Amino acid sequence: MRETGKTRIVLPERIQRGDVIRVQIVMQHPMDTGFFRDANANIVPAWFINDVRVLYGDAEVARFEWTSGISKDPMVAFQLRAETEGTLTVVSKDSRGSEFRGSAEIKFATT
Amino acid sequence: MSLNEPIERRSFLQAVGVLGAALAVEGVSGAARGLPAAIRTIRPGPDDPPVPNELVQKIMTDRFQTRPIQRGHVTLDMPPMAEDGRYVPVLIESDLPMAADQYVKGVYLIVDHNPDPLVTAFHLTPALGQVQIQTRIKMKRTSWIRAIAETSTGELWADYLKVETSLNGCG
Repeated sequence: MRETGKTRIVLPERIQRGDVIRVQIVMQHPMDTGFFRDANANIVPAWFINDVRVLYGDAEVARFEWTSGISKDPMVAFQLRAETEGTLTVVSKDSRGSEFRGSAEIKFATT
Repeated sequence: MSLNEPIERRSFLQAVGVLGAALAVEGVSGAARGLPAAIRTIRPGPDDPPVPNELVQKIMTDRFQTRPIQRGHVTLDMPPMAEDGRYVPVLIESDLPMAADQYVKGVYLIVDHNPDPLVTAFHLTPALGQVQIQTRIKMKRTSWIRAIAETSTGELWADYLKVETSLNGCG
């Protein structure tokens, strides 16, 4: 079921302190450019995520400026050095002023 | 192409000779059309794509002023033929350090012939440990793509690719 703004963060199953891990963020959003028309020839207005902030604990570790040139249901993946256990939070805003959040826990493997 | 599979590296260097020749032709025709001087402010290197229009020039001037952009330290990986302009995979990597005193603070992705050419800008911190960014973008038509990394000391490093697409993903 579609839920605009739903944000999922995918982390490796096993993380050890100091690992540079892959963080993948997947969101649900139409990312409409404002140039397409619907079946009734009406312009579909521009509607897209334009700001994404990644927080590791309280620290902002990355910020992405986006446009409608990012594909529908955006995906972004990047590396992150796992230095501490803590919450990874993604806060994004779209061109209509809505704010979306998603989070995942970075926990170190015990064995 | 599944997004979870690594993007295959293309034999880009093999094509450089051909592209160089094509660029030389483009450069001449650009000058012949009498483009305003402002468009030629940022001078590309011998095998770098020329700045195609005022929109791209403005983005480059706003973000990079007149600093030189050198080729190297950045690898842009994309399929040479993007079948669907709505979903074009992009991988940007850099071997530049991500240390507290010296790091990549920004990565810019410019699609020359998109309506909004600066598709995305990634602002980074040393906490990432390494520059390796993967995403999916839209393309309106066949275009040069610029991946430009800006270091904390203000250096600019870039890689360029020409990607062909037939299905307009921008509208």
